[in-house]
Amino acid sequence: MKTLDPVWAPFTPEDTNPWDLRRVAHLHRRAGFAGTWGELQRDLQNGPEKSIDRLLAGKASLHAPPEFASTANVLGDAAVATNESGRIKAWWFYRMLFGPDPLGEKLTLMWHNHFATSNAKVQDLAFMRRQNETFRRLARAPFGELLNASVREPALLIYLDASANRKGHPNENLGRELMELFTLGVGNYSEDDVKEAARCLTGWTTEDGKFTEVPVKHDDGEKKVLTKKGTLAGSDLVKLLLENPATAKRLVWRLCDTFFGEKAVSVEAMKSLADGLIEKNLDIGWALGVMLRSKAFFAEANIGTRIKGPAEFIVGTARALEMFDPAPSTLALADWCGRMGQDLFEPPNVGGWTGGRAWIGARSMITRANFVAALVEGTNAGRSKAHDPSELARQHKLPTDANALITFHCRLLLGGDPTPNLIARLAKGMDRKMVALLLATPEFQLG
Amino acid sequence: MLTRRSFLKSSSLLALAPTVPVFITRTANAAGTEKDSNVLVVVQLDGGNDALNTLIPLKNETYANLRPRLKIADKDAIKLNDEFGLHPSFRQAETLIKAGHLLAIPGVGYPNPSRSHFDSMAIWQTARTDPEEFKGYGWLGRTLDTIGGDSYTISNDVPRTLRGRRSAAIAMTRLEDLTLADSGTVKNAAGPEAQQDLLAFVRRHAVDGSAAADKMAAMAKATDGGNYPGNALGERLKLIARLMKADLGTRVFYTTQSGYDTHATQQFTHSNLLAEFAGAVNAFFDDLKSAKLAERVTLLAFSEFGRTIKENGSLGTDHGTAGVTFLCGPKVKAGVAGTLPSLTDLEKGEPKMTTDFRRIYATILHDWLGVTADVLAGSYERLKLFA
Repeated sequence: MKTLDPVWAPFTPEDTNPWDLRRVAHLHRRAGFAGTWGELQRDLQNGPEKSIDRLLAGKASLHAPPEFASTANVLGDAAVATNESGRIKAWWFYRMLFGPDPLGEKLTLMWHNHFATSNAKVQDLAFMRRQNETFRRLARAPFGELLNASVREPALLIYLDASANRKGHPNENLGRELMELFTLGVGNYSEDDVKEAARCLTGWTTEDGKFTEVPVKHDDGEKKVLTKKGTLAGSDLVKLLLENPATAKRLVWRLCDTFFGEKAVSVEAMKSLADGLIEKNLDIGWALGVMLRSKAFFAEANIGTRIKGPAEFIVGTARALEMFDPAPSTLALADWCGRMGQDLFEPPNVGGWTGGRAWIGARSMITRANFVAALVEGTNAGRSKAHDPSELARQHKLPTDANALITFHCRLLLGGDPTPNLIARLAKGMDRKMVALLLATPEFQLG
Repeated sequence: MLTRRSFLKSSSLLALAPTVPVFITRTANAAGTEKDSNVLVVVQLDGGNDALNTLIPLKNETYANLRPRLKIADKDAIKLNDEFGLHPSFRQAETLIKAGHLLAIPGVGYPNPSRSHFDSMAIWQTARTDPEEFKGYGWLGRTLDTIGGDSYTISNDVPRTLRGRRSAAIAMTRLEDLTLADSGTVKNAAGPEAQQDLLAFVRRHAVDGSAAADKMAAMAKATDGGNYPGNALGERLKLIARLMKADLGTRVFYTTQSGYDTHATQQFTHSNLLAEFAGAVNAFFDDLKSAKLAERVTLLAFSEFGRTIKENGSLGTDHGTAGVTFLCGPKVKAGVAGTLPSLTDLEKGEPKMTTDFRRIYATILHDWLGVTADVLAGSYERLKLFA
């Protein structure tokens, strides 16, 4: 194997880059939905290797209830049976908040954005849930497995008009997005390639809720896609796209976009990881392991340089404050998430959410401030009690005077001690009002 | 109602003085001259509107042959002149058409057209064709950087059109979206100017958000003067009219209507979309007229591309090239401007554009918004679009 760029070498704690609360909190924010005090303290003790392994293995949460899987299934079934889209969104929020595998949920969110599909068009919650489960099941798999499964998901086929694409009547929708969004990225194919790809995919459709290929609708003539000629079928096209080096580059971009801050990884470093990914058969789990263990991930340039997306912001805040029993209403959380610009299961278009700085605007800052006020008060977040900062401190055997509460919440939520300026700002509120102020600071919007 | 003067005096602005965002100081400085300035409302038709079935070429055999099943018969089209008619759904815009307040421009595009939704939309939004520049500023963001003032987007996200270096774009879908539960929170949490670029960016928007909430709280509820259809676009234009009546000095409003990506069985979908569009715009101008604001307003409606001139096998149309652009309002030169591209002299199977969209932008910038700065990175010959 070619040598990876040195920034991908494993992080080892040093005096200048210690394994401290700041880095543990960073790890949990990025690779999950923020750690609770107990999780942060545990990982601070255990060191990077064990902590990262636990996240990768999907066992990082200390708060998953024993009956999690069955409860999640009941909620998912009920959402589909009642055909209420709010409930399928709430089901996912339940999974993100209570699931044992925060990294897995974060990856599911990433794939939902990559293969963006909206129920506004699909209009079938069973298909939307099924697709979501596929993303979760294959989240860390070699990308070939995920891509092959995803392009055959009924939700995606409906969303991209697959059944309208048939011999003699090609419809470009699926072929184009398969190349532009799911694999190669724009600039790596021609308009002729799109037309020919559409021909390869003729005959793909859904029947009785399952993927099927209809031979009479398939154009089995000679085609030419990129440099390959032949009587290519849909599966040949997918294979061809998986073998193209542009796909690995796009996947690395997607992973960096999800797990790294602005400009935290150089173009050269991305290229080097893409080369590695090709040698590893596009194994996402491998790339994820390299990335999360790397010097680049724990470098100063990567800490606090990313804007939290709405789902991360909401789930991370509720988790860090241990709002598990009673929990806020997941229906309410999903609604707030939509108001902040991320309506799960209803991305704005096939390109998904732009993310990054696009999350932030005057209105979204107002919505975020209104949300944190609702969350700490409880009422407008469907929670039967308000957040009590002293109680949380007492649970962790920490002092509860006003200054100590500020310090504790800053350590928990920002990963470090407050600056004098921040203390002055937070001192304008007492108890849970202080927490609402902290959650509304520009600093807390970054992760 | 909040007047500009009372807004200037409002304590919220004074309270924010040390950290006041650039756009507010600039708007305040320009007050008085700006109050009666022209306003641009943009409606982005998402997905690629089927131009050929929107502005229909009359007595055109090639059109009829390209659209054996989807064509609109001459007798059903709303005749604009001897050559063109509008889709029958435009009956919903009867007042507007009769008053001479609607202008259609066929064949609008740019050289080497992209058929990707994202690239083509990015080109329209940035008025740049180099993909490297798609992440940069939009043509209206750059305009507001020059003339000052803020913009409101009635949608969940601010489109890149309004991204500017300094100008702040406010996105909203309902009035409550600009109401702070506790007006002190954001102000108290914002903190001092930040050194780190990303933190400074977030902080600037926090301050903008707080200022916007103060404005809305001060805004009196206006009654609506138009008979709005109960559809999404109607609701959005109604909200824009309210914001205009609040007299905030905003020069640019932006909203979208989605769903034009009609790859299959498009007749009803397309007809409904156009009816929604025509009815909403008609009511919007009725409303503005009764508020005596209409004379100051021009509405631009565009889509990222037209669709394939030939219908596909699934009663739909695929991504095409040149499209139709609309300008509406009392000051536009009604009718049709420009020419229909040839339906037989094609490039990669699709028509060649007859009007570069940047000529429309150049005309709006110069003749309507009074902008002389080089927003478009180049000079484009203006058209005769205003009466």
